[in-house]
Amino acid sequence: MMQMLALLEDRRIRLITASLASLLLFMALDIRGSMLGEMLRPAIGEPADSGLYGRFATGLVATFLLGVNLVVLDLLPRRLQLPVVWLELLALFLAFFLSFGLDFAFIQKKLWFLISQGAVTTIYVSLISIAIACVIAMVAAVAKLSSNPLFFGVSTFYISFFRGLPLLMQIYLIYLGLPQLGFVVDPIPAGIAALSICYGAYMAEIFRAGILGVPRGQSEAAAALGLKGPQIFTKVVMPQAMRLIVPPTGNQFIAMLKDSSLVSVVGVWELTFLAKTAGKSEFKHVEMLITASLIYWAMSICFELIQARIERHYTKSDLR
Amino acid sequence: MKTSVRLLGSAVLALLVATPGIAGETLDRVMSEGKLVMSSDPAYPPQSFLNDANEMDGFDIDVGKEVAKRLGVELEIVTPSWDIITAGRWNGRWDVSIGSMTPTAQRAQVLGFPAIYYYVPAAFAVHNDSAVSSIAELSGKTIGVCGGCTYDAYLQKNLVIDAEGVPAFDYQVTAGEIRTYDTDTSAYDDLRIGDGKRLDAVMSAMPTILEAQKNNYPMKIVGDPAFYEPLAVATDKGDEAFDAKIAEVVQAMHDDGTLTALSEKWFGVDYTSVK
Repeated sequence: MMQMLALLEDRRIRLITASLASLLLFMALDIRGSMLGEMLRPAIGEPADSGLYGRFATGLVATFLLGVNLVVLDLLPRRLQLPVVWLELLALFLAFFLSFGLDFAFIQKKLWFLISQGAVTTIYVSLISIAIACVIAMVAAVAKLSSNPLFFGVSTFYISFFRGLPLLMQIYLIYLGLPQLGFVVDPIPAGIAALSICYGAYMAEIFRAGILGVPRGQSEAAAALGLKGPQIFTKVVMPQAMRLIVPPTGNQFIAMLKDSSLVSVVGVWELTFLAKTAGKSEFKHVEMLITASLIYWAMSICFELIQARIERHYTKSDLR
Repeated sequence: MKTSVRLLGSAVLALLVATPGIAGETLDRVMSEGKLVMSSDPAYPPQSFLNDANEMDGFDIDVGKEVAKRLGVELEIVTPSWDIITAGRWNGRWDVSIGSMTPTAQRAQVLGFPAIYYYVPAAFAVHNDSAVSSIAELSGKTIGVCGGCTYDAYLQKNLVIDAEGVPAFDYQVTAGEIRTYDTDTSAYDDLRIGDGKRLDAVMSAMPTILEAQKNNYPMKIVGDPAFYEPLAVATDKGDEAFDAKIAEVVQAMHDDGTLTALSEKWFGVDYTSVK
C-alpha cells in the first residue's frame, strides 16, 4: 500500500492513473448516446450497436478532451481562469437543459410574467420578512442574553418552537389556525408572518452569537469612559457585532428567497406558484421550472453582491 | 397572576366557541359587496388554468363567471391550494368553490354541495408502449393518482360519493401499488418517462387525459370509464339561503342549455348529464 502511494508521487504515474480513472468512468457512464457518439460515427459505426469498443472510443476521446482542457486552463493567466471555469460549467449545464428539447417560444411568452408578477412578489415578500425577522431576532437575542428569567424563558421557548417546526406547517398553522381565533388573515400577510417568525428564530441565534463575539473588554472599556448601558450597546457592541452578524444573515436571506416558495400553498402568486401554474396549461412544466430556477439563481447572485458590499462597510475598521 | 389565568381561560373559551358563519351571512356579504369570490385550482386544464394572457380561464372559470353574472355581481378568483379548499372553514375568505369537486361523504362533513354542474368519467390510461388492453390487466400494477382525491379512494376501494343520481360502479382493479401525487398531471409526468419506468398506469379524469394527449403526452385510455363522478359547486357550511340561491342559479343554467354549451366549448362533449 505504502509503495503504491509512493508511486503516486511520481507526476507521470499520477497523470496516467488519473487518465485511466477518467477513461473507466466515461466507459461506465456510457456516453455513446451523446453528441460525441454521433461525431465518432465514422469510426465506430452506429453508436448504439458499437458495444464495448464504442464505449472505449468515446471514453478515450472524452478523456483526451478533458485533458486538453485542463492543460489549456493551466496555461491561461490567473485572472482568466475563473471566468473560463464558470463559462465551461455554465455551458455544461445549458447543454444538459437543452437535452430536454425545451420549447423556447413558450418560455419567451411567459418569461416577463414570471418576472413582473412572480419574481417581484418573491422579492417583496422576502424583503419585508427579513426586515421583520431582524427586529424579532434582535429582541429575542437580547432577551435570551438577559438575566430576567421571564424574558429568558419566553425567548428560549420561541426559538426552540419555531426552529423546530417545519416552515410549511407554520404557514398552514397561521393561515388556517388564526381564523379559529377570529383573525382572518390574507395569504400574503400570513406568508410574511410565517417567514418572519421562522427566520426570526434562526437569526436570534446568529445575533446572540454576534453580540457574544464582541470581547468583554470592549464594553468594560466603554463603561470606564463613562458611557451608559444603552449607549454601550448601540455605539460600541452592536457596530462590532454587525461584522459577525452580516455574513450569516445574508445567507439566511438567500435561503429565505427560496423558502418563500412555500407560501405558494396559500395561493400567493409568487415565482414558484406561477412556474407550476403557467406550465400546466400546455403541459410544459420543465420549461417553467428551469426558467424559474434560473430567475432564483440570478436573484441570489444579485443579493450575494449586495451582501458583499454591506460586509465591506462593516469591516472598514479592520482594513489597513 | 390571576388576570393572566383569566385571560388564558377566556382565550381557551374563545377557541371552543368559535363557530362557523351565521345563516344568511355569505349571501348578504356577496350582495352588499357586489362581489362573488370563487376559489379554483389553477393547475387543472381545461377546467381551470392560466391562459396566454396570464388570466384564469377554463370551464370552471366560465361557469363561475356565469353564476356571478346571474347573481348580478362581479367575480373575483383566488387560488389557495386544494387541501386548504377541502379543509373547509373558509371564514369568508372566499364564498364558493367552483373547482370540479366531487361531493364525497367525508367532504360533506365540512362543506356544503348545493348543486352538481357536470359529470366527469374517470378513466385509466397507460403509456403508448404498454401491452395492457383491458382494465382487468391492471390489477397488481403500479398506478399513479392524485393523493386524497376520488381516484385514490376508488383504488383503495372506499369511494363514497354523497350525491343523488350517481351511477352504480364496482371496483374493477386491485392496484399492486398506489402512488399518490399532488395533482393528476404530476402523475402523467411520471408515466410519460416510459412504460413501467415509474408507473404502469394512471387513473384520472378523462377530459384531463385527453387534454394531455393533445399536448403530446404518450398516453392511451384503457377500457370504458370506471365510474362517473358528479362534480359540484361547494360552499362553506352554515348559509342555507346562499346554498339555495346557488342551487337555483345552477339549475337554471342546466335548464337553458348554458352548461351544455360551455361543456361543448371546453371539452367538445356534453358532460352535463350522465350517459
